[in-house]
Amino acid sequence: MNVTYNWLKEYVDFDATPDELAAILTMLGLEVEAMERRGDCLDDVVVALVEEKRQHPNADKLSLCRVNNGKEVLDVVCGAQNFNQGDTVALAQIGSVLPGDVKIKRSKIRGEESCGMLCSEKELGLAEESAGIMVLPAAVAPLGTPVFTALGLKDTIFEIGLTPNRSDCLSVIGIARDLAAKLRLPLKQSHSIAPEGSDQTHSVIGVTVEAPELCPRYSARYISGCSIAPSPGWLVKRLNEIGIRSINNVVDVTNLIMMELGQPLHAFDCDRLAGKRIVVRNAGEGEQFTTLDNQVRSLTETDLVICDAERPVALAGVMGGLNSEIENSTTSILLESAFFKPAAIRKTAKRLGLHTESSHRFERGIDIDNVTRALDRAATLIVELAGGVMAQGCVDVYPGKNERPAIKFRTEKANELIGVDLERDVILDILTRLNCAVTPCSAGLVNVVPPHYRIDIEREIDLIEEVARLNGYDKIPATMPVARVASDKPTRHQEIEKKVRELLINCGMTEIINFSFTSPDAAGKLLLNDDDPRCTAIKLANPLIEEHSVMRTTLLPGLLETTARNMNFRALDLKLFEMRRIYLPGVAEKDMPYEPLCIVGAITGSRDGDGWSRPHEAVDFFDAKGIVESVLDNLDIGGVSWVTDTIDPYYHPGKSCRVMVGRDCIGSVGELHPTVQKNFAIDKPVYCFELDFEKLVKLSRTNKTVAAPSRFPDSIRDIAMLVPEKLEAHRIVDCIRNEKSKEIENVYIFDVYRGTGVPDGQKSVAVRVRYRSFERTLTEEEIVALHEKVISTLKNKLQIVIR
Amino acid sequence: MRDQLENLRSGAKQAIAATSTVEQLQEIRISLLGRKGELTALMKGLGAMDAADRPVIGQLVNAVRDDIESLLSSAIESAQEQAIAARLQDERIDVSLPGRRSQKGTKHPITLVIEEVCAIFSGLGFSVAEGPEIEHDWYNFEALNFPPEHPARDMQDTFFVGNNLLLRTHTSPVQIRTMLKQKPPVRIIAPGTVYRCDSDATHSPMFHQIEGLMVDTKVTFGDLKGVLTVFTNQLFGQKTGVRLRPSYFPFTEPSAEVDIACVICGGKGCRVCKNSGWLEILGAGMVDPEVYRHVQYDAEQISGFAFGMGIERIAMLKYGISDMRLLFENDVRFLRQF
Repeated sequence: MNVTYNWLKEYVDFDATPDELAAILTMLGLEVEAMERRGDCLDDVVVALVEEKRQHPNADKLSLCRVNNGKEVLDVVCGAQNFNQGDTVALAQIGSVLPGDVKIKRSKIRGEESCGMLCSEKELGLAEESAGIMVLPAAVAPLGTPVFTALGLKDTIFEIGLTPNRSDCLSVIGIARDLAAKLRLPLKQSHSIAPEGSDQTHSVIGVTVEAPELCPRYSARYISGCSIAPSPGWLVKRLNEIGIRSINNVVDVTNLIMMELGQPLHAFDCDRLAGKRIVVRNAGEGEQFTTLDNQVRSLTETDLVICDAERPVALAGVMGGLNSEIENSTTSILLESAFFKPAAIRKTAKRLGLHTESSHRFERGIDIDNVTRALDRAATLIVELAGGVMAQGCVDVYPGKNERPAIKFRTEKANELIGVDLERDVILDILTRLNCAVTPCSAGLVNVVPPHYRIDIEREIDLIEEVARLNGYDKIPATMPVARVASDKPTRHQEIEKKVRELLINCGMTEIINFSFTSPDAAGKLLLNDDDPRCTAIKLANPLIEEHSVMRTTLLPGLLETTARNMNFRALDLKLFEMRRIYLPGVAEKDMPYEPLCIVGAITGSRDGDGWSRPHEAVDFFDAKGIVESVLDNLDIGGVSWVTDTIDPYYHPGKSCRVMVGRDCIGSVGELHPTVQKNFAIDKPVYCFELDFEKLVKLSRTNKTVAAPSRFPDSIRDIAMLVPEKLEAHRIVDCIRNEKSKEIENVYIFDVYRGTGVPDGQKSVAVRVRYRSFERTLTEEEIVALHEKVISTLKNKLQIVIR
Repeated sequence: MRDQLENLRSGAKQAIAATSTVEQLQEIRISLLGRKGELTALMKGLGAMDAADRPVIGQLVNAVRDDIESLLSSAIESAQEQAIAARLQDERIDVSLPGRRSQKGTKHPITLVIEEVCAIFSGLGFSVAEGPEIEHDWYNFEALNFPPEHPARDMQDTFFVGNNLLLRTHTSPVQIRTMLKQKPPVRIIAPGTVYRCDSDATHSPMFHQIEGLMVDTKVTFGDLKGVLTVFTNQLFGQKTGVRLRPSYFPFTEPSAEVDIACVICGGKGCRVCKNSGWLEILGAGMVDPEVYRHVQYDAEQISGFAFGMGIERIAMLKYGISDMRLLFENDVRFLRQF
């Protein structure tokens, strides 16, 4: 909603400057989102008198003028021809800056000094085009007065961001009413009506409302003998300031009154209305209608149409019809002012994508009691500007007029909820200033009838808000609530989420966040079979773009796209992870989709970055596995196995595995399949992992117990052995661990070797065993015996060959 | 014998003086004083001497040995010092080369802000609650007092999934889910992802919010102001000005927009605050009785406030990010700065 400073001032005689006014409006909940000052920086362009005009000695097309600015007489060179000695003009003095950043300086033009510039309307930003300079009415203002002030053009336009509840402020009068209430100033309004003719309105035109549900009130007036013409300057200017294009005197009046009083109006050419009749009814299914903008609209039964005796002539509350619009030849007018049901207008406007100033107001609800007042005011102004006579009285179909019920209001409740201690009289004064009818009925209880235009006030709480608002939110003291309980500690889920994120960060990984929606072919790029559950995604009914049209069922595509994008920017050493929800159409509860938290990671490039001090080694499978291991270790998840059957198709089948705990698959890790790599336009190996966060939470152990270390010395023995290539190395370690010898402190593989000295199809594996007792220092003989036992177990169970 | 000892002494002096390494000095010690050394050999001749001469020569032997010993010790000591000095000289490194460190990753700025905001509110006694992102219309709109066909729904362009499901347009449905699950007192904060079908330089179709809700007996609008003042002061600095101004949300009444004094210009007016000196960071208000009705709370017995803020907005202000899209482009050159 746009409104100007000067326009508001016509209703309320405030002292506030435009800046102060903006602050007042904003603190009233009528947020000033932008301010445009017209003519503000043009104070140096002043009213001046051309005292003398003669030919420039050195240029045919220029004249030399002596111009009086009220203080002195200046020499000015001018190129325009459309003025004479004695004319009043607009003088841009030295130092003024015109629109377009044109700075006026003292200059010499063809040898003659010029101390300023005589301006055209275009140069002052008042017109798109202008011929010659602006000649002002004689004695428009004392010489030296800023031109914008003299012409009343100096104004500030406020762009107000209205909240949907304040439909009463979709009008200048509404904003003025709030200002008057806040500033304790009277509201100035004119109620004069033009003289009426002798014809009775209801004998000239007829109105039938066949859909009273959707149209509870319809009023109309008839004006004859008027002539359509361009609007006068003041009207064009006023509409222009609030962003409305001038059309003609009649249409402009309907728009002006809509902006002034908030009541949308429509003027029909009455001679084009069959039978000079109005019928308000539901549209027929599929009925065709051409709106003012020359679009053919196909209507449905829920749309409300205004018809004449034969056909629709307007789409009620939304837009008029081409068949009855005001034309230059129009002489008689049927002026409509009505109330249409908000939900119906909203439905029609939304379905047709036709959002107009009119539908905007009807959708939010207008003041049903203001319908005829706006009608009278508009008719009066039409007669004033377009001539003609308005018929006597108005047609007003309003069968269900209701009084608003009183709201029971407790001043104590207001104080309690707001957290203030206002006197009862102060509170009642606030409500009275807002034009509420206030009737105290018992101690502390007041009956309040809100003004008819405040359709948003229906309950006690609405009145409490009004009290807080008008008294000022800034007057409410800031206090701290007295708490009854301490907060719960974070849930296990929340704790583990935070822990895992920290762990991944400590592994050098950078967290990314991708959109939750993705392209429908994302799962396909991962080579997933159509029957894979990840290929069944939840679809959006109204996506913005196809690439964001389904909810993701896996985080991998986003991660890989991010990887590719970063590689394009030559960031080749990447360690990325994402920890977000996926969305599965399954049923969590009551048809709700399932939204488990997932973790994916991708690493590629150099292990330690481009340093000087370490070898430049590329990351591989074991770096990715190591990250997974450290997450599982830190969550104290044991019994993990790395299984190589039934691998997801997006992995390299020889360099990937599933992560199992018992029979539960909790994730996977592996090198990206070359085809998938290609699908995502990645040209270097990428190692990925996935973890099912919900399972991590279930499996992680919270009650950890620890053992005190032994105080006796250790003994280390290595075993180097030849084993078949396909024997998984971890089986050697498991085999030794399964001995469950108390004296074996730990076992680990410290070397795997293939090459010289190792036969084909075999590999050399070296294992280190650390022996230590909790009770005493082991003797050499004991250690030898223990180690012999380990070696013989390995020989028996795994057929290894000791090297 | 005496002469032999004197010769030994002077010979040793010369030999020691001519030697500079610890190893050679140790060799000299062995050759003179060791078991098979020259002095030891001379001492063996002592037994064959006159008993009268023995003490005198014995003393001389001891004196010679002490002399040599002390010469050797100081020579070894100085040789060691020299050796250390030489080693230190040789081992000089270029300390300007970068240190070797383990790479640390970074959290996404959205995560950082959520963690910080949650930490502040947890200090104020709020617990963290969560809810689904694909939500029922009832929780997202109706229970929050957005009736069907209400213009207030226009404030939030919604992605629909079908079957009365939609992508939640705000974190406010967590209020409803929490109140349906528990009786007052309630004090929660709910961070989460939300969606609106709107995309341009300042709007992302996916973004993040944090919702807050406190319901108890006698909670006032002044309490809301107090809690939000403490919060903004902790997040943006002790002296950050806070302003509440009237606004409208269907699920709160009275409602307020909360502005902080512009953190860029300190309130003087700049491009970021559009010359107003204020930055809008929060929407808030007292929970509307209609919401209580939907969760079967008795509005006459309790009262409470709710608030919600956009995480992206706060992240942009905190880190001086001018384009919201940077937050979701996941460019590591951006992310590694956090």
